[in-house]
Amino acid sequence: MVKKRSKKKTGTTRKAAPRKTAKRKTAGRRKSKARRSAAKPSRFARLFRLALLVFGAALGLLVPWTIYLDHEVRSEFEGRKWDLPSRVYARPLEFFSGLALTPEMLRVELAAAGYKESASPNRPGQFSANGGRFEIYKRAFRFPEGEEPEQRLAVSISGGRVASISTRGGQSLALARLDPAEIASIYPLLREDRTLVRLEDVPPLLVTGLQAVEDRNFKHHHGVDPRGIARAMMANLKAGQAVQGGSTLTQQLVKNYFLNSERTLVRKVNEALMAVILEWRYDKSAILEAYINEVFLGQQGATAIHGFARASRFYFDQPLDRLEAGEIALLIGMVKGPSYYNPRRHPERARQRRDAVLAMMAETGILTEAQANEAASRSLGVVDAPSAFGQKYAAFIQLVRRQLAREFAEDDLKTEGLRIFTTLAPSEQTAAQDAVSQGLRSLAQAGLPASLEGAMVVADVSSGEVRAVVGGRNPGSGGFNRALDARRQVGSVIKPLVYLLALEHQGEYSLVTKIDDEPITLRQPNGQEWSPSNYDETSHGEVTLLEALINSYNQATVRLGLEVGVTQLLHRIEQLGVDADIMPVPSVFLGAAELTPMQVAQLYQPLAAEGYAVPLRAVIAVETPGGESLTRYPLRLMPQDRRDAIAVLNYALTRVVSDGTARALPGLIGGQEGVAGKTGTTNDRRDSWFVGYTRNRLAVAWVGEDDNSPAGVTGSNAAMRLWARLFSRIPVEPVETRMPDGAYWGWVDGETGALSDKQCNGAVQMPFVAGSEPAYQSSCLAAMTNTDKEDDDRSFWKKWFGKKN
Amino acid sequence: MTDHSGKSGLAKRTDKHSASLLSLGLTLALALLLSACASAPTPPAPVEDRTEVEREIREPAEDDSEGVQVFPLQNPAVKTLLAQAGEAETSGNYDEASVLLERALRIQPHDPELLQQMAEVQVRKRDYQQALNFAVRSYDAGPRVGEICARNWRTIGLAREHLGDADGAREAESRVGQCMNTRPQRY
Repeated sequence: MVKKRSKKKTGTTRKAAPRKTAKRKTAGRRKSKARRSAAKPSRFARLFRLALLVFGAALGLLVPWTIYLDHEVRSEFEGRKWDLPSRVYARPLEFFSGLALTPEMLRVELAAAGYKESASPNRPGQFSANGGRFEIYKRAFRFPEGEEPEQRLAVSISGGRVASISTRGGQSLALARLDPAEIASIYPLLREDRTLVRLEDVPPLLVTGLQAVEDRNFKHHHGVDPRGIARAMMANLKAGQAVQGGSTLTQQLVKNYFLNSERTLVRKVNEALMAVILEWRYDKSAILEAYINEVFLGQQGATAIHGFARASRFYFDQPLDRLEAGEIALLIGMVKGPSYYNPRRHPERARQRRDAVLAMMAETGILTEAQANEAASRSLGVVDAPSAFGQKYAAFIQLVRRQLAREFAEDDLKTEGLRIFTTLAPSEQTAAQDAVSQGLRSLAQAGLPASLEGAMVVADVSSGEVRAVVGGRNPGSGGFNRALDARRQVGSVIKPLVYLLALEHQGEYSLVTKIDDEPITLRQPNGQEWSPSNYDETSHGEVTLLEALINSYNQATVRLGLEVGVTQLLHRIEQLGVDADIMPVPSVFLGAAELTPMQVAQLYQPLAAEGYAVPLRAVIAVETPGGESLTRYPLRLMPQDRRDAIAVLNYALTRVVSDGTARALPGLIGGQEGVAGKTGTTNDRRDSWFVGYTRNRLAVAWVGEDDNSPAGVTGSNAAMRLWARLFSRIPVEPVETRMPDGAYWGWVDGETGALSDKQCNGAVQMPFVAGSEPAYQSSCLAAMTNTDKEDDDRSFWKKWFGKKN
Repeated sequence: MTDHSGKSGLAKRTDKHSASLLSLGLTLALALLLSACASAPTPPAPVEDRTEVEREIREPAEDDSEGVQVFPLQNPAVKTLLAQAGEAETSGNYDEASVLLERALRIQPHDPELLQQMAEVQVRKRDYQQALNFAVRSYDAGPRVGEICARNWRTIGLAREHLGDADGAREAESRVGQCMNTRPQRY
């Protein structure tokens, strides 16, 4: 879609223009000089000739030298400037009354979006909190649907939900959304990490402050500033040492291009010449923009930190346009000596320098005295870990890149400055990462291997929007992203699909249909015999489909699988949106199929969404820096044909959690009910899976060893614990129990499975695909129908509406 | 904008100006080029088709149901977005309407009115497959009686007709009638 062509084209226009005009100008200048000298009287002819000779010689040297310098500085200037990184945004937090949100989650969201806590928020980007009552001064932001202005909001939270939203004036609001967190920049792969900004995106305070501190005459000089030099010399003489430099911003820019600490006169002259050339060729704003993106502001290991935007990330973990006055002042102050004023190593020096800059800002009227004092009273605000940016969200960003790779060339993402709107929820990403990291630590304390790894995928059920991706116990871009790339055997996680296929066999199977859980031996395609055993090494005889599924009986499942067929199973997996290369062998019924956590999430999304499949998405919209929409990924439903069978299966999966292999789960999430899920364990306890969903959240957790060695894990002893850690922090909305067309709630005898009635003793409710209910009646029901024929209609009614779903 | 080419080249100032505008112009040019290649927004439907939703779905559904509405309580946030989507729809901005409805569906994914509204916007965008899908979901999630039920089945019928499923369209028509018949169907 976005084509290379555009880049090339803009590139040539950009370069051609100055070159052409430059030539013309040089020629013109020479001509006018010649004319002027020719017009002079010849009275001092000899002297003049001498002067001309000297001038000519100087010109002869200077012109080629200037041309050389011109070439040097121009290639630096133009070669580096223009690659704009794409900016990646999280989903905006939308407040509405009833939104499930705790004060802790809101704090995470605010921090991710760069909001600062303040006693009384009086600028966009600040908030105050008092228990569940938040005052948020939200920033203006341009959403794909349009600009939203800054606004002061009051949000109150109680009982884990948003109770009200209002303006500061007390006017109640139906909804309001925060500007989204910026979660990554996809920038060019240069030697240095760069985060480039355009001048119009640079905070005005930085632009004016920089000039006030470094080059007050910037607007007027021509590259060098004799007055500035004089002033610096005076200051230095007065102080008895070099306290002030007379270099203009332009000279500093040149110095940054050819970083060299050598302080020779030639060097100085060259710098001055190049500065003059730059000023002659380019506009002030272009020079300032280059400076802001170029200036050296620190060192991270072997990598140089160039530019204010990158430095903003490095020191504050925020985009440049979200910095406060004090933070901007600190960065400006650091220009003078990034390592001397390094705020991490020399906080006191850095603070003094910042305060000095703030004082200069106040002195020049850029800030009021009060603003400067207020900023000086704050802490430096420097984050501890410089690598935090991008790391926290790296696993999710990989998913973003993959979704975009289908449509955009990698180069375009890195150079066009696109705005990418994603589905990530910072609070859920943080909670999911904590669940995995802390969960694995606690498993190790409980005696499982300390080397265990884990992964998690969290998605919104109905929209398929991915809210969090955890690629391993340590977040970070360097590591293996297990959520996307670890293809592991899924074990019993696949079983529900075998039962789904059975339930779709109209009239043949219901949840109360009996099957045999007895030893079985099959010949594999490779000629070997295969005799699956149950987890507890026992065969359970005649069991219902429901019992077999919730207890994850292997022998019964294989028998049922043989009835529905392995090719049908693989076909069904494809229909549910997962393209996996699986061998059609009977052991697939027990999960001898390798899938990634992401694929498992896709497999279960249609079940969780009551049969309305959607492809899992990480990106909603992509637009140009100017706000033109390039592409949107709208919600598109793909209804499954047999939503009746899916609804019945969903009920069975809630029973897995209430009475089956996952029955420890409700206790782990504070007794919340209405979760559906399935555990999975593979041979020799190598993999632990848990897939669980509520009405609005689906999450897949996996635990195992990277080298696939036996790890002592089961679905319920490991992955389910991680899952529970996440969901104990999220309010659960119980899964839908209402049946769609084609399925209904009936009554059966709990003992015999015979059709029964609400009024009968021992009757239990059971969902059925219409036509699959047991053909035989319980004695109680038989007696009722015989004695009460004319009441048939009413009892039918009761079957349908007499119970609360 | 002519400065960009550098052809005007009047004086040094203009050149400098153009050099600086270059940075801005570059972005603008880029934006234009990119947008030229972006997927075109849905063209507004011709005037006579605009009423398809009213003519085939909303008005008859109101008649079918004698105005009986069975709505769940709606969140004020959803109401606000629904109203905005309605405005966008009326002024022919169907893409905007569907973005707003999607935003509302993030808040209440099972709201039958939202889902049906989305189905109707899809009809206007002539994406009959998605119109069908959203209408079916609305029916599943909804009260399955009253006006919204009639709108569901009328949309389903209309979409099936456009998709060439004549039998399905006829079935849908018969289902419209059952929306006022609170007695469930036998299987």
